[in-house]
Amino acid sequence: MPAIQVTNLTKTFRTKHKAAGLGASVRSLFRPEYRNVEAVRGLSFEMESGELLGFIGPNGAGKSTTIKILTGILFPSGGDAKVLGYIPWKQRQKLAYHIGTVFGQRPQLWYHLPAIDTLTLFGKIYEMEDRETRSRIAELAEAFEITDLLETPVRKLSLGQRMRCEVAASLLHKPELLLLDEPSIGLDVVAKQHIRDALRDMAKKENVGVLLTSHDAGDLEALCKRVIIINHGQIVYEDKVSTLKRSFLTSKLVEVRYAEQISTSFHIAGTETLKVAKERYGVKLRFDARTTPVEKVMAALSAAGTLLDITVSDPPLEEVIAAIYKTAEKSDADEGRNRG
Amino acid sequence: MKKYLAVFKINLLNSLAYPAEMVTRSAMILLFMWIFFQLWRITFAAAGSDSINGLSLHDTMWYLLLAETLELGRPRLARVISEQVKDGSIAYLLNKPYNFLVYQLSSGLGESLPRMGMLFVLGGALVWAMAGPPPDLVNWPLALVALAGAWLLHFCVNALIGLAAFVAEEVAPFEWIYQKFTFVLGGMLIPLDFYPAWLQTIAKSLPFAYMMYGPARLFVLPDMQLFAQIIIGQLLWLAIFGGLLVLVFSRGMRRLAINGG
Repeated sequence: MPAIQVTNLTKTFRTKHKAAGLGASVRSLFRPEYRNVEAVRGLSFEMESGELLGFIGPNGAGKSTTIKILTGILFPSGGDAKVLGYIPWKQRQKLAYHIGTVFGQRPQLWYHLPAIDTLTLFGKIYEMEDRETRSRIAELAEAFEITDLLETPVRKLSLGQRMRCEVAASLLHKPELLLLDEPSIGLDVVAKQHIRDALRDMAKKENVGVLLTSHDAGDLEALCKRVIIINHGQIVYEDKVSTLKRSFLTSKLVEVRYAEQISTSFHIAGTETLKVAKERYGVKLRFDARTTPVEKVMAALSAAGTLLDITVSDPPLEEVIAAIYKTAEKSDADEGRNRG
Repeated sequence: MKKYLAVFKINLLNSLAYPAEMVTRSAMILLFMWIFFQLWRITFAAAGSDSINGLSLHDTMWYLLLAETLELGRPRLARVISEQVKDGSIAYLLNKPYNFLVYQLSSGLGESLPRMGMLFVLGGALVWAMAGPPPDLVNWPLALVALAGAWLLHFCVNALIGLAAFVAEEVAPFEWIYQKFTFVLGGMLIPLDFYPAWLQTIAKSLPFAYMMYGPARLFVLPDMQLFAQIIIGQLLWLAIFGGLLVLVFSRGMRRLAINGG
């Protein structure tokens, strides 16, 4: 049985609309105007149990709304969804025993109290035995390296430390599925890595499925096997992360360092020269491997001078995702023009 | 049940996290009680009598102390729920395996009890010094039972106003109106006994009297007949508001729109 089954899910919010100015404010008192905002439009997908699925999209794409529907907090306007066999909005409390959630922008730990107090409270809420709660806290404290932080009031923790405690709290009751909404938002590189490593290890060890929304392609690369990209409440891409990289990562970035100064008019046909640095004799260029053979570029670079160092890399995943968004938006616009 | 006890406990701990702040905040009751004493001392002197409609200055002050304790110490649930909807933190409260309304009840009780205790002790010390010792201890059990009923009624009405945030988001105006009704028709500023008979009849047929006047009046002048009337009234209004609360919550969930996605 899939952990998540979503079929034609829709969610429309009705929002009050008011033009600027005093007159418009008075008018809206008597004749309020409402607009319907379609946050999720006919979303369908499945997620297997134990799968690590990335749910990526720009602001307002409908990611958080979908997660909130899947946890049972929001009622959908249409469509069906089952999470671990439960209909979330009808069986919210039963489902809650089996899922863990982290909403990265909202704290669930009690701000003025040490994290251990919230964890102990959650143990009671999930109806765990005291002994079981204590041993689970010790296990999570080790996995997330928070043993020394547990007795410090949450307000005194750094964001990275707090987020480690937040994620640990969501795993306390050994959920089968974790729904993480932007768990790495605002964190520095080290803190992100810390959380990703601990999450990946825990998910593997306990076979927990993870549905992760993020703006950070690093989260996706580090944690997820499959990715769904949504925009305007609809799926625009769905495949393995490795396929995404293969299909869209066709351009290569090359950074070279020479032993001596090379010509400032340096150029290789079929490549775009990004930088020729005089100080350390460095060159940075980009090319599309489909049209310009790698071999040809390497030969030309070697012929230009004595090579000291060379690095070939893929462009960041953010660029790839941005390209997919643009493609989807362009096809939306074309579709709109054709309809018009 | 254990989970709700744990919720109560953590709220209690949270309220006690800053004891100095709680004492300072509660100290405002000293100012209120001092002003009330000056007002009523002059009023009683002007009336030229030791009692007005059966209440002495001493009774009036202890009545007002209990009413103020309840008003200042009850949880501001409407504001809390409205904030939770606005900042989106309600998402964490709704996705846990408990009854949301019972959670709010346990949470409110944990927050309210230490505050009410502190208000009563501080205000009581001043009232004792100004107007004399507290009512006889035998008066207290009846008043405490009615106080519990009054607190629950406040909880239900406040939670109802809070749930309006699921749709309206800003609930401060509703809360303001409700508070003014309890001030005037609940007998918080003036004991209902001082009102003309027709206004007393109106006030006593509304729920506000059971939220403030009932326990405060029983505290100073206990009476089994009045006690029975108040408890029956409280149970009736609790059934109405409690039922409405459950209904509005289940309907409200369908219309909930959480900020931030």
